[in-house]
Amino acid sequence: MASLFQLLLLNQRRSLCTKVPTSKWKVKQVTTSNFNESLEEIKIHISSSDFIAISMEKTGSSLVTPWHRVQPFDTAETAYLKASHSAQRFQLLQFAVCPFSVTDSNNLVAHPYNFLLFPRDELKLGMPAYSFFCQTSHLTSMACQGFDFNASIYEGISYLSRAQESAAKVRLGTNSPSLGVMKSSSPPTIADSVFVERIRLRIKHWRNSCKKSGTKTSKDEEIIISLRNIVLGSELFKSRPCLTIDVCSERQVQLILEMLVDFSDDFLPLVIPSKGGTTQAVRIVLANSKEDKEFMEREVHSLEEKESKKIRGFREVIDLISASQKPVISHNCLNEVDEFESSMHMIFPKVLDMIYLMKKSGTMRKVTNIRNALTFLNTHFFAPVDMEIPDQDTVNKGKIDGLDALRLSYLFMKLCSILKISPIVTRSGNRRLAPELEDFTNVFHPCSTNIQESCSEDVGLWNNNTRKINSEHLVFLWGFKFGMTAGMLKSVLRASHDIFSGEFDVRFVDKSCAIVVFWQPGLSKDFLDVMNSEEIGGGLKELVSDGLRVTCYETYRTMCRLGLWEMDLAESLERALESFVSDTEINNERKSSSEIHWCNDNVINLDDL
Amino acid sequence: MKPRKLPSSALSRALSRALSTSTTTTTPLQCGSAFPSKTVTVSNFEPSLAELRHHVRSSDFVAIDLEMTGVTSAPWRESFEFDRSDVRYLKVRDSASRFAVVQFGVCPFRWDPSNQSFVAYPYNFYVFPRPELAGFGPCNDFLCQTTSMDFLAKYQFDFNACIHEGISYLSREQEREAVRSLNSTHDSDWSDISKLNDVRDIPNVNMADILFTARMKNKFSEWRDGLLQEQTQSDHIQGTQKDSKQQFQVIFFKTHPALKLDGFTSRQLKLIQLVIKKHFKDLSYINVNREASGLQQIVVYTDSADELNLLLKEVKEENHRAKEMKIQAAIGFRHVIDVLSSEQKLIVGHNCFLDMAHVYSKFIGPLPGTPEEFVASVNKCFPHIIDTKILLNTNYMLQERMKKSRKSLASAFSMFCPLIAAGSNSTGLISASLVKVNIEVDDSRSSSWNPGGKHEAGYDAFMTGCIFAQLCSDLGVDFKLHESSKQLASNEKLQNYINHLYLSWLHGDIIDLNTGDKVANTLPSYNLKKRYPNILFENIVIIWGFPTKLKANEVRECISKVFGLTSVVSVYHLDATAVFVQFSKTELVSDFLLLKEKLETSNGPILVLHPLAKLLDGGNTCAANYDTYKEICGSPLSESLFADQAKAVILKSKTKSIEYKVTSRRKEHKNASVEDNEKDAAMKFVEKIKPNTIDQIRNVESRRQASQFEIEDSCVAEANL
Repeated sequence: MASLFQLLLLNQRRSLCTKVPTSKWKVKQVTTSNFNESLEEIKIHISSSDFIAISMEKTGSSLVTPWHRVQPFDTAETAYLKASHSAQRFQLLQFAVCPFSVTDSNNLVAHPYNFLLFPRDELKLGMPAYSFFCQTSHLTSMACQGFDFNASIYEGISYLSRAQESAAKVRLGTNSPSLGVMKSSSPPTIADSVFVERIRLRIKHWRNSCKKSGTKTSKDEEIIISLRNIVLGSELFKSRPCLTIDVCSERQVQLILEMLVDFSDDFLPLVIPSKGGTTQAVRIVLANSKEDKEFMEREVHSLEEKESKKIRGFREVIDLISASQKPVISHNCLNEVDEFESSMHMIFPKVLDMIYLMKKSGTMRKVTNIRNALTFLNTHFFAPVDMEIPDQDTVNKGKIDGLDALRLSYLFMKLCSILKISPIVTRSGNRRLAPELEDFTNVFHPCSTNIQESCSEDVGLWNNNTRKINSEHLVFLWGFKFGMTAGMLKSVLRASHDIFSGEFDVRFVDKSCAIVVFWQPGLSKDFLDVMNSEEIGGGLKELVSDGLRVTCYETYRTMCRLGLWEMDLAESLERALESFVSDTEINNERKSSSEIHWCNDNVINLDDL
Repeated sequence: MKPRKLPSSALSRALSRALSTSTTTTTPLQCGSAFPSKTVTVSNFEPSLAELRHHVRSSDFVAIDLEMTGVTSAPWRESFEFDRSDVRYLKVRDSASRFAVVQFGVCPFRWDPSNQSFVAYPYNFYVFPRPELAGFGPCNDFLCQTTSMDFLAKYQFDFNACIHEGISYLSREQEREAVRSLNSTHDSDWSDISKLNDVRDIPNVNMADILFTARMKNKFSEWRDGLLQEQTQSDHIQGTQKDSKQQFQVIFFKTHPALKLDGFTSRQLKLIQLVIKKHFKDLSYINVNREASGLQQIVVYTDSADELNLLLKEVKEENHRAKEMKIQAAIGFRHVIDVLSSEQKLIVGHNCFLDMAHVYSKFIGPLPGTPEEFVASVNKCFPHIIDTKILLNTNYMLQERMKKSRKSLASAFSMFCPLIAAGSNSTGLISASLVKVNIEVDDSRSSSWNPGGKHEAGYDAFMTGCIFAQLCSDLGVDFKLHESSKQLASNEKLQNYINHLYLSWLHGDIIDLNTGDKVANTLPSYNLKKRYPNILFENIVIIWGFPTKLKANEVRECISKVFGLTSVVSVYHLDATAVFVQFSKTELVSDFLLLKEKLETSNGPILVLHPLAKLLDGGNTCAANYDTYKEICGSPLSESLFADQAKAVILKSKTKSIEYKVTSRRKEHKNASVEDNEKDAAMKFVEKIKPNTIDQIRNVESRRQASQFEIEDSCVAEANL
């Protein structure tokens, strides 16, 4: 099937694209070996672009276990819990970035990059991850698309999140050691002053010997000097003499730094951290002059910068995108909640979710794949778009991995032209998007009520069989006979008890668990009460005896919060029931947040499988 | 590494045989080529399995080795000296159930009496737990340890081969489960074949559906009428069939005229089903599951209801068989394990307790809760296992020879089999006492080769087997006298070692697979870096959640101030967030726990001034006895910091006990004392639970300290070397 789509896609593209034939789309592959120069390159491209399309590939996705993905019956809270759960478990293997600028309403210039990533524990600190999950089915489907795992694992760039970076800095002791004098917290003791005097004397001797050695150069003296240097522990730091003084506490570091102020300006103290993060020694470098000292300070600073760059790794790119404040185009954001930041919204101020855009256009309902979306648009609309990829010839490797970001930018242009939205960014003064696009930013599909209030009205537009229901009306049901279909279950339930004489619906969430929706308020509670009471009888009693279990929506919410992510929803609910705590938090929840949308076409029905 | 292929003409084969048999004048036939081992992926699995089966059957012993995606899921899951053997097993169980096996080396060794040498058949299987049977394993996801992945990458492990072409598997348990569910659907109604029961569920019928339905109705009635008029109109049918873009193909299905449906969407198929059901008594819609063509939708004409039932029954059987075949196919790599198990050959591994746990959890079933049960079940499947590491470390003579050299697989190999390690058996003069080994791959034998890639499972298994052969010969086992591996396994010179595995290399804890008993290491020279003499588990308290800056000696100081200078025997960090404290007396454990509880309930100057305040600072400090530690280790959860893990585990058991209490209260206090006991138990167990306040930064920061307390020579680390 995939190949058929591709063929279709290629045919379509050939007829539409004039500048670069789509079959020849190439993406620059970035690994550890060319990361630094690519970083410089992309910096320029990002700053000159109008939009940035991103797409990523992880070691797993919540899409495989049906109930782990965000479902229409999820509230904003449970949807977020699901997304963050998947983000924490899996790691990134690939991050495609495609900055592009719009030159005309149907012409774009793109600079696609594909960063290969791997969570390498380069600092031996258990970061970015001590271990991570791989989802077998996800890896298999990646393999089907020809993903090169060797390239990622052998040469992938590592990364750290912002929080991890600051933690790593603390632990490595590379967070710029404050060279200034700290006020000593306690009055000096006798031991302190003895220590200071001893060190002061040592430094004096060493300094004198250094100064002397610059003037006299007889051979004997040289030998003596070098011998003395050995005795005093003198070495060279960047071709300047330096002295390393071992310390055994932070207090001593402070004392040395304080004492050094008494000397003239040509000393530059450097704090050498131990592996454990505490200070191991203080290295005192003797500069030739005041200017030299300043120069050295700058040098040390840039060295630190370089070191921290190495720590951050790929996150540099994320920071660049974030700092650029450019609108980011992504595909199904909620499932790609960012690894690098707990809140996507904070780093990317403007995010356009393609799925949402497509739904908005009223054209597509169930599009999960960028390639399918493109095919669909190509077959249903005439919207010629020209794609320019200036760096095609300089691309070093002829690989096509990470095309999705490029496709995304192409798709975006097409959609804009179909929706008659001008994607052109006005360059005068503040960069501003067309007002229509502005409306689309930061709206994620499907449960984003917490992000933008206006979203709730919009839902009806793209899904006409959506009925808003309160989560109170939902009941989770499991423990029925294996192999039942929704229809069978419904008829069994109807026959079992009077409660089911009214209007209700049954949907399977996964093969183990179904949801029952009571359209009449109050019935769900009645049903739960009946299940727990002793009056239970008739067909329902039979079902319960056979193992039927029931719970309310609260259990589901608690389950998500407790992080009980079993493969089968039934198993998770069972465990949640086991550990059900009367959580006052739940009761304080706003009523409005529990409004969810019941839409028929998003629920997995076993019959369709 | 590609399977090495030689020109397979009879001549060259004969030549290579002739060359390899002459031990004195061996020409380096394989010089320049890589180590000869057979790499097996999905593409060549079937023939390789048949070949391997034959080799295993005729072998004297089989060496195995596994490569995994990781060893420990969290730093505190590493092996500690304070791990009792049952805790140690729980850690192994955690590892084996979380990580995936990506490469499996199998190397049967056969004594060749004509050459007075062994013939080895190294196989290197790429394994990947691909879900081939939806819903029935092998597993949904697995864990990777970043350092292990880096390690594999360093030795050029081919991840692409593994993920793209790795052989999948089902454990025996998973197969049973799949068959069971297949049978249960088999017994149910016809829904499987003719999905009729749910067609009325089609929501909101629109205009397009109505038109399509009408068109289909016409098509089918046309075809049926044509059938009824028999041959006269048959040409006409052929004509209409062309019109509809081959969507209908006239076929004969089990001697019944039928239409094969192609290129319809699932919705359209539903509509067709509906049409057939509504309007045609003598047509029926059938889903056929055929091996070659997959799922096929067919509309069949039958004369009578009886005939239809008969047909449906037939189709049902056929579908059932197709599914059974699918399950059989999904067993995949487990066939190799089944061969090893059914042939009852002597299995040779190097430090292979973890390996056996992996084999069990991947190919037999979920690992049992206690080491005794595990050992008993393993013994049933593999009655004879021998560990070269045991041989090397428990035999005095071999121990002497190894002296202080490293006991990793590679170093033992170059030590005991210097010639094989160098890649040849050539010179007969110096190697009188050395066992000769030839390698045979794809029917071509070689006696010299380039050393293989270290940590490639096939080569590691080969090395293990060679070491074992040499050790046997050193111990005086005469291969010439043995006809089968059963006799080798019952050789009295090996009796002290067979079925003994290191449960924990760190302690030298050896477990006997026959009996489940722990075996003492009798070797006097067996010396471990024992920093903590006589560990008494009942004297141990585990403390976690204390301020992360606190060092081990500070903890000791704190406690000594209260309970006396000699009260604390040792303090040991298991990670930055937790310590073991061993007291000199067992009573001190409960004394400490009680005092802690008392201090926490009393808010006031006592707490601030108390020597333990430093330890309890922050209000997150928890403490428990050793059994709680075991419980925490046995939990399926895995947080990276011990304090977080403990919190998660105890949160769950706390809520359980609360529920327990509630239910018991409902019983109208029938037995008040029982309830009190329960409450007490719950309180003792849950020392303190606080909302999660440890933020990520602190987590990360605290791990730094953990690295200081790493044990250099841990068993787990060794297993991966």
